[in-house]
Parts: sequence; structure tokens; C-alpha cells
Amino acid sequence: MINACDLVLGYERSAVISGIHLTVRPGDRWFLIGPNGSGKSTFLRAVLGLLPPLSGTLRLDPDLADRSGLGFVPQRCEWTATLPSTVREFVSLGFVGLDRSAAERTEGITWALERVGIEGLARSSYIALSGGQRQRALVARALVRRPRLLILDEPTEELDVASESALLETLLELNRDDGTTILFVTHELELAARHATHVAVFADGRVTCGTRNEQLDPDTLEGAFGKRVSLFGAAPGDPR
Amino acid sequence: MSEGFLSSWVLFGTTYTVGILAAATLAQVGVWVVAREQIFLGAAVAQASALGVAIALLAGPLLGLPGDGLEGEVAPALLAVAASVLTAWVAGQPPRHAGTTAEARTGWIFLAATSVPVLLLAHRPHGLEEIERLMFSTLLAAAPLDRVWFALLAVAGAVCTARFGPALLLSAVDPDSAAAAGLNPARWRLLNALWLGCAVGLAMRAAGTLFTFGCLVLPALVASGLTREVRTLVWVAPAIAIVASFAGFWLGHAADWPPAHATIALLCAALPATWLLRRPV
Repeated sequence: MINACDLVLGYERSAVISGIHLTVRPGDRWFLIGPNGSGKSTFLRAVLGLLPPLSGTLRLDPDLADRSGLGFVPQRCEWTATLPSTVREFVSLGFVGLDRSAAERTEGITWALERVGIEGLARSSYIALSGGQRQRALVARALVRRPRLLILDEPTEELDVASESALLETLLELNRDDGTTILFVTHELELAARHATHVAVFADGRVTCGTRNEQLDPDTLEGAFGKRVSLFGAAPGDPR
Repeated sequence: MSEGFLSSWVLFGTTYTVGILAAATLAQVGVWVVAREQIFLGAAVAQASALGVAIALLAGPLLGLPGDGLEGEVAPALLAVAASVLTAWVAGQPPRHAGTTAEARTGWIFLAATSVPVLLLAHRPHGLEEIERLMFSTLLAAAPLDRVWFALLAVAGAVCTARFGPALLLSAVDPDSAAAAGLNPARWRLLNALWLGCAVGLAMRAAGTLFTFGCLVLPALVASGLTREVRTLVWVAPAIAIVASFAGFWLGHAADWPPAHATIALLCAALPATWLLRRPV
């Protein structure tokens, strides 16, 4: 689905991250981990087509390159309180850029809301939702596109433990039942250790990629982060 | 009283129709200004068009442009629109330098565009009068041709809203997700700047700062208290602008008040009422 070869990414000719070799296959659950500013979001922007590579190649399947098979869940959505919207209308924004009939839209919204477990909130005000419910609405908005690849940018950053657990459960179901490929950006090593099939570790302008067991080996992590990193119980903000 | 107002259409028909059409046009684009939380940008863009008018008045005699009549209206109107479009486009760009925010940039534009026109026209005959007229919002400068421009803008705005409403909304509230869905951010910023700049630039010339800024943001804010979804809001806001401007002109005629001020005062009175209607979140 995605193939990066000797990819160099950055802004205005200044490289942020280099030497990216990565292949994402259907059904994979890739977790992109690393400290803040390590280039995770830069890589994500490149996959989303928002940032051209400085050098190297980044190949995407045709339905990902034209965005029709791709769903994106941002960390948050800054929705102004002066703008009224129901959850149903908010989720329907996922159809932007796609040509779907009214019946297909209705069916897609209903399916996506059920998938993330907030079908009962369809007519509720989006602004009145809790943080966890809003995050689920964001996932539903991405799901209405029926994406083969779901990209999530630190979606658990502002969630409590229960909401985080529920969101991860939903993602695992999508991956298991529908074969949705997951690209999940986080700096929580613990999440990667529990849920990833593959891990990309971003640190010091470089990326190392591989299966979860290879990448989360304590020696590999020490090489990437320059210090001994615990998978559990790290301080907030540190790679956990 | 109503008969007196209706009979005044013989004299003020152009002023009234331009005012109503301008209010509807501004309210259409104002929905997206409110959606992007750029309310102050509306004031800055309006002031920037005053700068365009000042430049036209200053440069017109030097370039041999006609100073009065229909031809004399063209250069100030064009420069007002150009200044508004340019300001809306510049202010809509993502900040590129550390320490700069969109809000700071908008504030700078507003203050520069408020002070510079006065300096430019301080020693020109009738120059400051023109600036004061723009600030005061008399609506008396509305020309018959303005009806055509605003009618065209209103139709174009309605088509844009019907055809691109969800895309406009997503690009306003979540630009990254809009780009991830395949929208070109630069192209949408340009469309927004053209729409906002044309509406504000033309309205400033015809109706002045208060009416322009008020009709840009107040109908959308009032409508947000009366609707549950943006897809309804985008049609209710222009409808509110039409009703409020008609009522404001009637009130202005009945009480011998400036019609633009009466319209904005009505909208200002309606806004707190909708806050009371809105259920707490």
C-alpha cells in the first residue's frame, strides 16, 4: 500500500528526517513512535500528500494517492462553539472529495456511527460531546469513506484511560473484521507494545522500522532514544 | 407609517435594494468567516478597502482618472475590492514566521488600514470627508450599478454554498483533514479571499464600515442560535440579513435614524436574544 525508499522529508530544503525505508502491507497495524519533534507528523503529512519529498521515493496505491481509499483522524478538530452542528452532519463531512448518492451517504453515516458505538448520538450537538465521544466522531468521519488505510495522528493524546481503551478496541475490530490497515502516530510505547504488528521508531532525524518484537526490543529502543526506555510507567511527554 | 416607507422607495429605492442585497451577500460569506473564528478579520478587510479608496482618490487626479460621475466611481470601487481581496488572501495564509500569529497579523492590518488612509487624504480637498463617510455608513453612496454587482455576487454565493458547502466547512474548521480528503488548500484559500474581498470591498464603498462589518458577522451569529446544523445556517443567515436590513430601513425612515445604524442595532439586539434561546452545552 505504501512504499518508502530512502525517503528524505523536511521543510524549505531543510531535512527533518532522512533514510526512511518502510513498506506498509494490507492489514498491518503500524505504530509510529518517537518523542515530540522527531518527524512522525512530518512523515504523516507526506503520506497525506501535504508535503513533497526532498529526495527518495514514496509510492502509494492509486486509491490512496487520490485519497479515495484513505481516512484521516487528526489529533483534534477545532470546532468553534458558535457553529451549530449535529454529530450526523459532522460525520458527513467525511464524504468531502467523494461522489456519493444521498442514499449511500445515509447508509455510510449510519454504518460508521454504529461501528464506533455512538449511533445514539447522531442527532446530538457535536460541541456537547465529551472528549472521548468527539474522538469517536472523528474516527466515524474518517470511516464513512470506507478507507483501506486509516491514519490517526495521536488520537489518544487527550483521552482518559477508558476512552483510550474503547477507541483502541474499535480500531482493532476494524482491522480484524474489515482488514483496515492502521497507521497510528503516538509517543506512547505502551500502546505500540500492546496493539502494533509493526513499529517505526523516529529519533534523531532517522527512522528504524520493523516488526513489533524487533523494534520494541530494549536494546533497539536504547539505540534509538539514546537511553534506557521503559515500556511502562514513563513520565508524560517522554516516549512511554 | 408603512405607506410613508413604501412611498420613499421612489426616492431611495436604489439605496434600499443595494443595502438589502449587500446585507444578504455579506451574510453568505460571513458564515465562513465565523466558522474560521476570524471575526476580526472582517473588520480588517473592511478597513483595507478604505485604504484602496484612499489610494484611488489620491492617485486618480495624478493618473487623469475622472473624479466624479459613474466613471469616477469605478477606480475607487476597483481599488477597494483589490485591497480587500489582497488583505483577505494575505490574512488567510498560514503563519510562516515564529512569533507571528494570524490574530496579530489581522490586528496590524486593521490598524495600518485605519491610520494610513487618513494620512494619505489629510491634505486633499474633501478627502477626509470621504473617509468619514466610509466610517459613518450612510448608504447614500449606493449606485444603480451596485445592484447588479451585489445580485451577481448573491447568486454566485448561493451556487458556491449549495455546491461546495461541506468542502467550505471542512476547509474552514479542519484544513488538514480537508487537504487529506483531496482539497487543494491554496485554491480554497484563494476562493475564500476572492469571495470575501469582493463582497466586503463593494459593500464598503456603498455602505461603509459599520454596515459592512455588522452584516458580515451578525447574521451568522444570530442564525447560529436559531439553527442546529451548518447546512441550515448558511441559508438562514442571509435570510436574517434581508429581514433585518428591511426592518432597519423601515425603522430608520420612521424614526428619522440612519438606516445602516438602525439595521445593525436591530441585529445587535437579536443576538443576545438568541443566546437566551440556546440550550446550555
